[in-house]
Amino acid sequence: MVRTDVIIIGGGATGCGIARDLALRGIPHYLIERDDFAAGATGACHGLLHSGGRYVVTDPEAAKECIEENTILREIGEKCVEQTGGLFVRLPGDSKRFRDRFLKSCEEVGIPTEILSPTRALDLVPSLNPVIEEAIRVPDCSIDPFRLCMLNAYSSRQKGGGILIHHKVIDIIREHGRCVGVKAQDRFTKQVKEIRAKVIINATGAWGNKIAVLGGSDVPMTLSKGSLVITNHRLTNMVINRLRPPSDGDIIVPNEAVCLAGTTSITVEDPDAVEVESREVDIIVTEAERMLPNFRTTRMIRAYTGVRPLLKADTSDSRAISRGFRIIDHGNGMFSILGGKLSTYRLMAEKMVDTIMEVFGLKVPCETALKPLDGQDELSGYPLSKRLKDLSNIVCECELVTREEVERVINRIGTKYIGDIQHRTRLGMGPCQGGFCTYRALGIMHDMGRVPADESMRVLREFLQRRFRGIRPALWGDQLREEQLVESIYLGILSMEKEP
Amino acid sequence: MSAIDYDIVIVGGGMSGLMAGILLVEKGHQVALISRGDPAACLSTGCIDVLAHDRNPLANIYALPLEHPYHLVSPDGIHAALDKFGEIMTDARLPYIGTPEENRSILTPLGTNKITCLVPRTMESSPQNPDEYIHVISFKGLKDFYPSYIISRRMNSGFSVFDAGVPTTMGIATRFEDKEFQKTFIAWLKGLEIPDGKIAVPAVLGLENPLSIMQEITARLERWVFEIPTLPPSIPGIRLIKALKRTFQKKGGDVYWGSPVASVEKAGRLVEALTIETKGRPSRVHGRAFILATGSFVSGGLFALRDAVQETVFGLPVSVPGPREEWFNKDFFTLGHAIEKAGIRVDASFRPVEAGFENLFVCGSILAFSEVMKHGCGHGLALATGMAAAQSCEGYLQ
Repeated sequence: MVRTDVIIIGGGATGCGIARDLALRGIPHYLIERDDFAAGATGACHGLLHSGGRYVVTDPEAAKECIEENTILREIGEKCVEQTGGLFVRLPGDSKRFRDRFLKSCEEVGIPTEILSPTRALDLVPSLNPVIEEAIRVPDCSIDPFRLCMLNAYSSRQKGGGILIHHKVIDIIREHGRCVGVKAQDRFTKQVKEIRAKVIINATGAWGNKIAVLGGSDVPMTLSKGSLVITNHRLTNMVINRLRPPSDGDIIVPNEAVCLAGTTSITVEDPDAVEVESREVDIIVTEAERMLPNFRTTRMIRAYTGVRPLLKADTSDSRAISRGFRIIDHGNGMFSILGGKLSTYRLMAEKMVDTIMEVFGLKVPCETALKPLDGQDELSGYPLSKRLKDLSNIVCECELVTREEVERVINRIGTKYIGDIQHRTRLGMGPCQGGFCTYRALGIMHDMGRVPADESMRVLREFLQRRFRGIRPALWGDQLREEQLVESIYLGILSMEKEP
Repeated sequence: MSAIDYDIVIVGGGMSGLMAGILLVEKGHQVALISRGDPAACLSTGCIDVLAHDRNPLANIYALPLEHPYHLVSPDGIHAALDKFGEIMTDARLPYIGTPEENRSILTPLGTNKITCLVPRTMESSPQNPDEYIHVISFKGLKDFYPSYIISRRMNSGFSVFDAGVPTTMGIATRFEDKEFQKTFIAWLKGLEIPDGKIAVPAVLGLENPLSIMQEITARLERWVFEIPTLPPSIPGIRLIKALKRTFQKKGGDVYWGSPVASVEKAGRLVEALTIETKGRPSRVHGRAFILATGSFVSGGLFALRDAVQETVFGLPVSVPGPREEWFNKDFFTLGHAIEKAGIRVDASFRPVEAGFENLFVCGSILAFSEVMKHGCGHGLALATGMAAAQSCEGYLQ
């Protein structure tokens, strides 16, 4: 059994942000995540560091938080933020009145804007639809959510915080009506660890109610599914938003070598049972085409969906619910932090930890906005500049990942999951989506003696099934062609079967 | 633009197109074969799957769904096509073994067993028994072969690693073409003093004549040797296509390789000529009859849009199994996604239905309802329908 002061459940941006904040304020803590970092809504969003423009008309308070956090994150998170800038484009037929309100609200909230003529906008983003009426420039950025979580967790580790990924909280230990600890089960070995703490923070996003119920309470939430598609190359170097009230498929964000386009907003019940539907993909592609016409002929490599944990409201339209956040004290040693969004994760963590400090009767100020994220040099991902230096022994041709890099990650984190290697090296993130390199990555793990013989087929099966879930909704054109080849590799040449 | 005249123009350089081509040149026809590039067969194991899910493939053809194109060929016809294939490959010094009356299993690079029917002689000794001792040879840095997969699944096995100086199957196979390299490899192998049992190597024993290399090893070490087909690009698949292509050319067929069809000329119920993009300038080939053997999606014979499927050469009507959301099962491992049914429907003479052409014949995996992955019938179906379409085409020309 382990004892600590604070247990954080959830390894998304909020949970990792809380871990860093606690670390900087010197509070012992443990973070428990059932999957890898950023496995929930954090990793399944646009990767957009909002300027606030998106919410400025409908939710000025959230917009104000966005622009403030945007400014801070550009400062402290240089290596995981790409300062792309963003455009809000107005197409023929889009309301001029909305545009006027947009500009006025931006001024009130403090979001810097610049009005661009179509010619000027096309100079910046040549792939834009030439029929646009105008574009408004804002300081939107692209942010790497996975790297963001890793860097926040890194600070925590440096200061002695415990980070347990691939551990599922299966029970909350209660004594005399208070939550005093958790039982966490290793996803692979099924071994159960017991960890006790003074306070438990539920930062599990869409899974918030499931965890709250384990602790004997509940939290009111509306779950809203948002789906996105990934293109196989970068169609724009700036974030492109549609200048209209928030709606389906009106944001395109460049990220590394690809673009992410979305989203949709559909109310759902169970965050574990969501999937992308073909019609959502059709909506996103159709809307994206209106802003970037060459979207029509671009190859989509995958679709994915995340579940937004929104505060419960009396409206059936999930777009109309505030993107703000709330901290709930369950009065039994457990706190839940709900709502919010990636862009404001740091602020959410600050407020959460302020609350904890009050409980502990301590007065240490928050420093997360003042200090750059630690570990940015060590964990700055695996940028192309680095990858291009060594082209021998490439095991993932799409993303130029070498065998050495894969071995380095396996040694560093001792993983048994192909997904962990993927998240840390970009192996399998290219057009074939791991069609070839999955066999190789697991082969390397095999060679290194990391996967027991009786488990390797299960690991491979699980990974391929998960992979297919993301690929299936966007299968046509060259991607369908590629997928049939991948199918012939795993089910034909390698003769894998569903059951052992 | 002047045209080159042929009796038959075949579009598609895969198994079915080459099979049809060889049969038609043997009958004395002038045949052109146009291929956009290396076919999907170069990505295959090189083995001939006839019907993979039964012990006796030929006896179970009858159980396939009624619309399956195997039913357009009689079991005797299928047998004849596979026999003919066997003869061609023996003549090409790349002999195959097996009979359509009995499936066999070969070891995969994952350590599982793949059920197939005819296999190259270099895979003949692949173990049929899980307890047999095998010693796996791998090559340093080879990224598409990990002996530990096999070792971990077989109690009786061991492995050794040879440094060939190159990390790809293609690179190593090329090195095996060199006699000195072969000698060094065999000397090393002998030095290992492998205790007993068979020697397994990834399929890299040369590009041209793997059997002689295998026999040399067997003779020197007194051990059975067999190849394990690897991930694409697959050397046994490349050897197979090269051998068929060479046979077709030797017998007098003309090959336009790496040449996509740019346009089609039609007159009434006849296809008259094709313009192809060759290096330098476009060429126009005229034919009395045409065979379409461009394969399914992987080979590019079919192309899926978001809401439709196109046939990429003649624009033939394509039979599509429902709307896009129904094309794929949710489960990756359940064989038989509906999209596999997509393709060209043909009549008993292999002419496409509802297309109105008298002199166009279709064969291979582009045929509707072939469901190649589901039934495990890829190359077998290609050979059988390639032969049948060629016969139908011949009948038309007479």
